[in-house]
Amino acid sequence: MTTFSLFSFLLTLAVALWGSNVLALSDYHEQLFLQPLPQSSLLASFNFRGNTSQQSFDNQHFRYFPRALGQILQHAHTKELHLRFSTGRWDAESWGSRPWNGSKEGGTGVELWAWINAADDEEAFARWITLTQSLSGLFCASLNFVDSTRTTRPVVSFEPTGDHSKTDGLHLLHGILPGEVVCTENLTPFLKLLPCKGKAGISSLFDGHKLFDAAWQSMSVDMRPVCPPGGECLVQIEQTVDMVLDIERSKRPRANPIPRPVPNEQLVCDTSKQYNSEDTCYPLEKMTETGWSLTEVFGRSLQGVCPLAETDSEQSVCLRVPHERSVFTSEGASEIKQDDGYTRCFKLDPEQPFDLAVHEQQMNTKVPLEEPILHAERTIVGHGQERGGMRIIFGNPSETTAVDFIYFESLPWFLRPYIHTLQATITGRNGVRQEIPASDLVTETFFRPAIDRERGSQLELALSVPAASTVTLTYDFEKAILRYTEYPPDANRGFNVAPAVIRILNSPDSSPVYIRSTSLLLPLPTPDFSMPYNVIILTSTVIALGFGTVFNLLVRRIVSVDEAAALGAHTLKGRILSKLVMLRDILRPKATKVE
Amino acid sequence: MTDEKGDSTSPLATASSDSKPTAQRIPPETPEAISTRFLVIATFWAVIIFLGFPIWWKTTSIYRAHLPIQEMVDWADGKTCRPVFPLEIQVAAPGMQSPESQHLLRTTQHALDDLNEFAAHHLRLKLTNETSTAQQTEDSMEVASNGEEAPDTALTVRVIAQDGLVVPKAELHADTTQLDVFYPPSQVPVPSSSNPPLSVFIAEELQRLYGEEKATVAHILSGEKSGLDSVNPQFAESISRRLRRSMKYADTYHLSFSLFTPGPEPSSWDIEAAVQEYLSPLLHAFAPISNFTVDTQVQLYATFSPMAPPPVYDEVEAAWTLKKEDLSAFVNAAEWPLNPSIGNGPTLNFILYVPAPSQAPMMVKENRASSWIVPQWGGVFLLNPPLSPAGKGSNPAHLSRDYLRPAFMTFSHQLLTLLGTPTTPASLPLRLQTLIRIRAASLLLSASSTMGSLARLTESLPSIPIPATVASSVSITLSHLSSTCSHLRSGRFSAALATARVAETEAERSFFEKSMVGQVYFPDEHKVAVYLPLLGPIGVPLFVGLIKELKRVVAGWKARRRAAA
Repeated sequence: MTTFSLFSFLLTLAVALWGSNVLALSDYHEQLFLQPLPQSSLLASFNFRGNTSQQSFDNQHFRYFPRALGQILQHAHTKELHLRFSTGRWDAESWGSRPWNGSKEGGTGVELWAWINAADDEEAFARWITLTQSLSGLFCASLNFVDSTRTTRPVVSFEPTGDHSKTDGLHLLHGILPGEVVCTENLTPFLKLLPCKGKAGISSLFDGHKLFDAAWQSMSVDMRPVCPPGGECLVQIEQTVDMVLDIERSKRPRANPIPRPVPNEQLVCDTSKQYNSEDTCYPLEKMTETGWSLTEVFGRSLQGVCPLAETDSEQSVCLRVPHERSVFTSEGASEIKQDDGYTRCFKLDPEQPFDLAVHEQQMNTKVPLEEPILHAERTIVGHGQERGGMRIIFGNPSETTAVDFIYFESLPWFLRPYIHTLQATITGRNGVRQEIPASDLVTETFFRPAIDRERGSQLELALSVPAASTVTLTYDFEKAILRYTEYPPDANRGFNVAPAVIRILNSPDSSPVYIRSTSLLLPLPTPDFSMPYNVIILTSTVIALGFGTVFNLLVRRIVSVDEAAALGAHTLKGRILSKLVMLRDILRPKATKVE
Repeated sequence: MTDEKGDSTSPLATASSDSKPTAQRIPPETPEAISTRFLVIATFWAVIIFLGFPIWWKTTSIYRAHLPIQEMVDWADGKTCRPVFPLEIQVAAPGMQSPESQHLLRTTQHALDDLNEFAAHHLRLKLTNETSTAQQTEDSMEVASNGEEAPDTALTVRVIAQDGLVVPKAELHADTTQLDVFYPPSQVPVPSSSNPPLSVFIAEELQRLYGEEKATVAHILSGEKSGLDSVNPQFAESISRRLRRSMKYADTYHLSFSLFTPGPEPSSWDIEAAVQEYLSPLLHAFAPISNFTVDTQVQLYATFSPMAPPPVYDEVEAAWTLKKEDLSAFVNAAEWPLNPSIGNGPTLNFILYVPAPSQAPMMVKENRASSWIVPQWGGVFLLNPPLSPAGKGSNPAHLSRDYLRPAFMTFSHQLLTLLGTPTTPASLPLRLQTLIRIRAASLLLSASSTMGSLARLTESLPSIPIPATVASSVSITLSHLSSTCSHLRSGRFSAALATARVAETEAERSFFEKSMVGQVYFPDEHKVAVYLPLLGPIGVPLFVGLIKELKRVVAGWKARRRAAA
């Protein structure tokens, strides 16, 4: 690979910085990485990392590590924590492979996994519940809804990234809330965890309105212990925010956010079309790169640097555009071009706000995008309210190498998969579909069946997709019928099924590569919610009817018609009745006469 | 349809009109039929009464464990226990003969009893052997910690003869519970004198030492109104203010020390060393009463709340000043991360605020103070460090231990106040002992009043369930309350505090039992409304049948009586 890929660059940069400061007991780094993507999008990748020594962490002396989070982790005996908030979808076909190789993003909604120190599974689960309840309060998210039905214990999908001592009884627990809407109330506590709190440094660019207006965004909090060889152990917290902004959309003024059509005189039309005329236009793709600036896109400028970060050695803002492109910066910042031909970093003046502007320009070179190792998509197929099927499509774009990966899926208990129906179809480049037994592709299966209302099913498959082919896996499932009280208020919307997590095993540089599918919406048979009352009232009426008949039969005196008439004549009722009958008899002949 | 009906009814009507004269009377019912009907109705009602109602009663009744209501109310009303505080004071008079010291003791005790106006709190003198008193105190301390039968020694008085003195002189050791009384050898009390000056002096000295404690205990026991008449109103007011400001008693307190600054500097402090040096000894001394956890944090870019009035520059003082009434808005609760620590027990927050160089020095306008207490929450200290000459007069990047010294001295003082420690006497061990007694008394009262509230609650809400755990908690509370009372009576205050702690925890647990609240808001009307379509059509014929049958029985009975008459 001649072109140095962008995301390996991100990782290398991070690793290099990490390596140079490995001996410092507590330190803090932050970095912003910007890259324009096709279709006038802009990837902004923020990274904040703080360290504290294990000893001061244990003694609860917090400096770069946030106190609130630190105490929660200690209370829940959590050794390593990964928390993700994501919205939107990463368009891998246009934008290439994911930032951080997908290791810093989660499925839509909130995803949490942690290694908890505990003697047995039960204790681990109790601590996990403590952890989710506390984090739910800290991040204003519904993490407290991660109960036993949403908790899984993946076997092969995740590996701890920190250095843990061998004596710890670590338990991995994983929970996901696909329906959670990530919004500003999650960003505010996220910013509070940062030492510079969005007041200085790159975090001053965060604006909830822009961040959650992005086409795709992912916030992550990772905590792990790090023991450099021969040094004191550290506790590291790393927070990242990655987002893909639509430049045109972000540049709209806040006071007037309604999109307007391009004025006629600015339209570039394809004049070769035969129908091209005064009032008919086939617009051409813009040949120039869109111009933008930080202030336009983020709505504010960058307020100097966070003074805690060691600024002498660090360039905290990096931009990846071809070197031929002219970039304008505010005064006091110095530009350093890297020799890969695409990346340049900026050293900021601590005192002054920083802005960066790129003008519209015709470009000859383009920044190469790395092709993702694997494409994956997952859909629910079938019809009806009783059964359905799951279809997962894996595409391997490589012409030479097969991809080995783990496919991890946690399904809610009311979706009952039939694993025996697992079928595989393989399609080569020639487009010929061929059905093969699933066992040819699946090398290992870890399956934990669901228990109704107690836990969901957990499926982990070790798969291999051959080069230049597309594999389709399908299986059938049955939809359970829920109890009346188990339906949410918006039951007809459908039920969220958590995204599948794919961990690629044979990635080129042996760093973890993760891909997540989108979450699914499962329609379940939904009752009419007034039904129980209707049923109660109807059955009550039927029972009362039956009872009344039987009771009357038992209690009433049965007499002949003659006797009844005689009896009836005495009572008031009988007299009125006979009068009525007489009246009718008198009226009847008249009525027939009229006819 | 109508025609058909009309056709069918009309012959009937004519038949009835025809048969009217013929069948004037219907044959009377056979007695068998009447008794069968009676039996049927009786059976239905028997099923309802003997099967239906018991099942309904059984399935809808709520479990209410038996609570000793009367006993609980008695505790709350203070009828069961009148807390008393007999303090044992050991007197050692190494320079005196035995009869002389006996006499001194007797007369001093007499003088003390004369001076004392609050019977619940009294001092009992006891003569110790002349052998090393230090040894003695240590022993008694050990005994106290072991919870043995011997009462705690509150104070050791050493009466020492010293030449060259005209009047007796008392000296309190600041770090032990020992009071040295020096007297001129000429004043050795002679057995004949009834009121020797030395005895009066010692008695007055002791009375002065325990004055505040006595007033505080009286204040707690008597509720809001001042307990002692002789205490001047200002003193009483200060006691009640201190009690209001102090935290509720807890087993564990979390102390959270935070460095807040509006700019980027200082970003580090010698906190571990400062806590170790300035705070640990105090926390260690508190160990018999409460445990503490300590956590610290550094928070930069901590700005004032936009609602809070900003500090104003004062030309005269050459300083930025905060108005006293604005101090309550100083802590920006919305933005500063001061969430309570996880775990049981309340959190005490101590804030060290370093103002921005552009607003330094900062102080309180009215009294030029640099620190204040936020009642039941924590304390704030404004630290104005010398601006570093480098650059444009910025704050130092690091706060060394020596800079932190005044702040931590203030924090220690604030901590003592927040925990409710009295301000006198000067000796810290004595103050802590006083605190033990105050805490034991207040816990005893609060647990008792919780019992009373629980009793009232269960009486007034008959629909709430009382699980068995509540009953057992109540019995634990009551037994611990009575042992607290007896510990107090015999002067074992540490043991009394320990049992009072248990009583308080159990009392709170029983009062805040979760399952007791759930059922209160579940109305029966809803159930009735849902089942009305069943109950109505079934109930009406049953009742009508019952009433008819009763009428018949009554009529028959009357007829028989008339016949008999």
